[in-house]
Amino acid sequence: MLKWIDERLGAAHWARKGLKKVFPDHWSFLLGEIALFCFIILLLTGTYLTLFYRPDAAPVIYEGPYEPLRGREMSAAYESVLRLSYEVRAGLVMRQIHHWAALVFVAAIVAHMVRVFFTGAFRKPREINWMVGVTLLVLAIGMGFTGYSLPDDLLSGTGLRIAYSAVISIPFVGPYLGFLVFGGEFPTEGIISRLFVLHVMLLPAAVIALIGVHLGVLWRQKHTQFAGKGRTERNVVGKSFWPQQFFKSFGLMLLTGAALALLGGLVQINAVWNYGPFDASAVSAPSQPDWYVGWLEGAIRLFPAFEPTIFGVTIPSMFIPGVVIPGIGFTVLALWPFIEQRVTNDRALHNILDNPRDRPARSAIGVGGILYVALLTIAGGNDVLALTFNVPIEAMVWFLRIGLFVIPVLGGFITYKVCTELQSSGARPARRKRGTRLRRNAEGGFEEVPSDSHS
Amino acid sequence: MRPARWIYASFVVSMLGSLGLVAYYLIGESAQVEGVLLGLALGGMGVGVIGWATRLMDVPTVTEEHDTLESDDSAVEQTEDMVGQDAVTRRKMLLRLAAGASATLGAALAIPALSLGPRPGQSLEQTKWTSGARLVDRFGDPQRPEDIPLNGIKTVFPFGYEGEADSQTVVIKIDPELLDLPEGREDWAPEGCVAFSKICTHAGCPVGLYRAAAKQLLCPCHQSTFDVTTGCTPVFGPAARPLPQLPMDVDESGFLVATGDFQEPVGPSFWNMDTE
Amino acid sequence: MLVGTTALATTLYFSGASTAQEGHSLEVAEIATMSQTDEVPDGQELFEASCSTCHGPEGQGTDNGPSLEGVGEASADFQLRTGRMPLANSGQAVRKDPAFSDEKIDALVDYVGTLGDGPEIPEVDLEGASLVDGQALFIENCAACHGATGSGGAVGNQALAPSLTAASEVEIAEAIITGPGQMPPFDFADAQLNDIVNFVVYLREEPRPGGADIGGIGPVPEGFVAWFVGLGSLLLISRLIGSKRKADAEDAA
Repeated sequence: MLKWIDERLGAAHWARKGLKKVFPDHWSFLLGEIALFCFIILLLTGTYLTLFYRPDAAPVIYEGPYEPLRGREMSAAYESVLRLSYEVRAGLVMRQIHHWAALVFVAAIVAHMVRVFFTGAFRKPREINWMVGVTLLVLAIGMGFTGYSLPDDLLSGTGLRIAYSAVISIPFVGPYLGFLVFGGEFPTEGIISRLFVLHVMLLPAAVIALIGVHLGVLWRQKHTQFAGKGRTERNVVGKSFWPQQFFKSFGLMLLTGAALALLGGLVQINAVWNYGPFDASAVSAPSQPDWYVGWLEGAIRLFPAFEPTIFGVTIPSMFIPGVVIPGIGFTVLALWPFIEQRVTNDRALHNILDNPRDRPARSAIGVGGILYVALLTIAGGNDVLALTFNVPIEAMVWFLRIGLFVIPVLGGFITYKVCTELQSSGARPARRKRGTRLRRNAEGGFEEVPSDSHS
Repeated sequence: MRPARWIYASFVVSMLGSLGLVAYYLIGESAQVEGVLLGLALGGMGVGVIGWATRLMDVPTVTEEHDTLESDDSAVEQTEDMVGQDAVTRRKMLLRLAAGASATLGAALAIPALSLGPRPGQSLEQTKWTSGARLVDRFGDPQRPEDIPLNGIKTVFPFGYEGEADSQTVVIKIDPELLDLPEGREDWAPEGCVAFSKICTHAGCPVGLYRAAAKQLLCPCHQSTFDVTTGCTPVFGPAARPLPQLPMDVDESGFLVATGDFQEPVGPSFWNMDTE
Repeated sequence: MLVGTTALATTLYFSGASTAQEGHSLEVAEIATMSQTDEVPDGQELFEASCSTCHGPEGQGTDNGPSLEGVGEASADFQLRTGRMPLANSGQAVRKDPAFSDEKIDALVDYVGTLGDGPEIPEVDLEGASLVDGQALFIENCAACHGATGSGGAVGNQALAPSLTAASEVEIAEAIITGPGQMPPFDFADAQLNDIVNFVVYLREEPRPGGADIGGIGPVPEGFVAWFVGLGSLLLISRLIGSKRKADAEDAA
């Protein structure tokens, strides 16, 4: 069969090259793959859902089996999600797998990004891939937001209201932009079908294209590797793509699917029937977005009531935390390779990865950044935390407002110290102790050998 | 290599899971069973494949040499020469005209985007409340002061606009002794009933939580807290503007009516709002 | 008391065995009534003993506790039956074991009911209640504090809108009418009240077709599960599949 293709495409040569391609096999290099596999599962389950979902805000009367809503007027979109959950066989498990996959997808992207950051894999020549990756993160968050807003339920509709307010808050263009995006003053009938177009057509197209670029660039540039025996800046040491790496990845994809299937069947998620159809004058508490928007929610909650009017222009109190801070944050993130290059003056090509301890400054900044985002995300659920730990909300807010500045700095400082300590002591705390044992040698004396050697 | 029976077993488990799922789909509906069977189907095969890959594929570690990414200087030069050849770069006037035409074409192609929505106009500054509009609940029933218990709260709309999002309003009945409203609003509170826009001035969520003993409205989204006795001035959280108060009176039949629209824009602030 | 009564009755039974049979049961009955009459709690006495320190000797209120004039039997019954009153410590009154027996609660409730003109204990009849109306009313009026699934929430300054899983049908109705603590009172028609109570009861046993409901409060626990269970298990699997050594063979020293 290969001959048939080869006669038409001349494939045999580059097929062989591809199958032979070497990939280093450290476990942390699999994180990006996990994200990719989550995306594939999202595509498959999402296609199934699209065949049943109706992106239509027109009112219908519910006649299905969920009793508390029978006879109620609701949008066709919401009704289709109820039908999918209660009347379509395997509909609920597909919906739940889809939603769990979305949560794990972004988590895997973040984990992968953290690995790339701490090992300096974004350095020349991989700045392009880093920027593509950050863009993919933003697109993934966008896909999640548009996706969970599609059911038009009370919880996601509240989130849409906040998004609308964020757009409106932009000086000079806010109200016009808000009305353009939503099709009028909130709430509009048109927003659901627009979110649908974004979620199933425009955003997936962008994500798929960028994943293609991301993998293509990786393929061309070859994967990075950790320093070690026989490894140089000019080679790659590992296992060839076929058969082992391919089968390991294929197996990992199946196991990712298995984990998501188990979650999708056993743990209820986004039970939209409880919230009821969206109603602009009602709200449920606690109200949070999905975790990957939690940092934005936290920023909006923590930012104080600062709303100045400068030269007749009001700066609404949600503009800075809702628009400016995320804008700055993602820009800094995307441009990080160049920022680091500026500071370190290192314009050499790097194919060998850093040990995080060898770059104490970068690691400290990384830990600080992670703590900052983590605290914002936690702040997004501050009312739930106040309930869990039985403290007043106000105390929780102040703790987080102050902690937001103190904890990342402290964490960065500690990281710096730990890195320099580990560097100078040469200790390898994560390495399993191999230990040594004494062995009698032929001359009658003793010698130390590694404890796992057999003789 | 040892046969590693668990690898064979995993594939069998997977097959059982898949067949089980096919059968169960036809007879049952539980998402839990579906999820577990699918998990076994995928997981069994995953474990089998990985077991095969890691235990049974005896693959050596190999080294692949990099070719330099960077092409040599002459190749770059040749490419640059080809891109920047005279036929393209010498025609300066044409290049400028082409650039201008591209930019204007971009604008022309982009302008239909303005059809996506109307201009805001006065929409953000007005609601459906007018002078004489009765306060009604969701079902259209007009409200009297007696219909609201002391320290109670009710969501109301202008008559004829039940459910209208921008006009959503809460009426709260408070002991009139406790009221300390801003100047000019003394007669906006018949029999201790005060009405405020329900749309939070921070991010627009309905301010539905009423702390009756403390006389505070709390918005569940970002915890902005408003003191009802002083006209819903913000006392905690990110909201910076008080909730606009609805001027209210009682008509001849004893029903609560508005005596005008809100005097500030309701909901979150925007750049050119009237802030007097 | 009860043991004593039984002992007394038993002793008398045996000691009175020689007397006529007819008189005998009457004796026991009399003794029984005598001990019951001794036990009828006096609401006013109980109030003065247990409640007047904070609420004043006539329930007019003090610096430590509000006036109970006009709060009605419904309010007293709710507070006492859910054990909120007597207050254990300063802060929000929360559900705990009632401090009084049912009879004493009844007596106290009767007494508080005489302090002015307040709502009586509502009669709840869930027969024919509408789940649909109940759901709509609940989302409109209750969900903002108690959550769409009735799991409760923080409402600022350490006040909590409690979870609705423990309250009895009457207690739910009483709370709605009287507005205890930071909760506002509501004035619903009887049918609407029954609808809401019916819905709250329904929420407890509502089927969870998707599996474990991990709290029923939405994205926060879902996020935790996604990271720790979802990604966590995949990270473990990755460590099993991939190599842990950064270098494949021995380190370059």
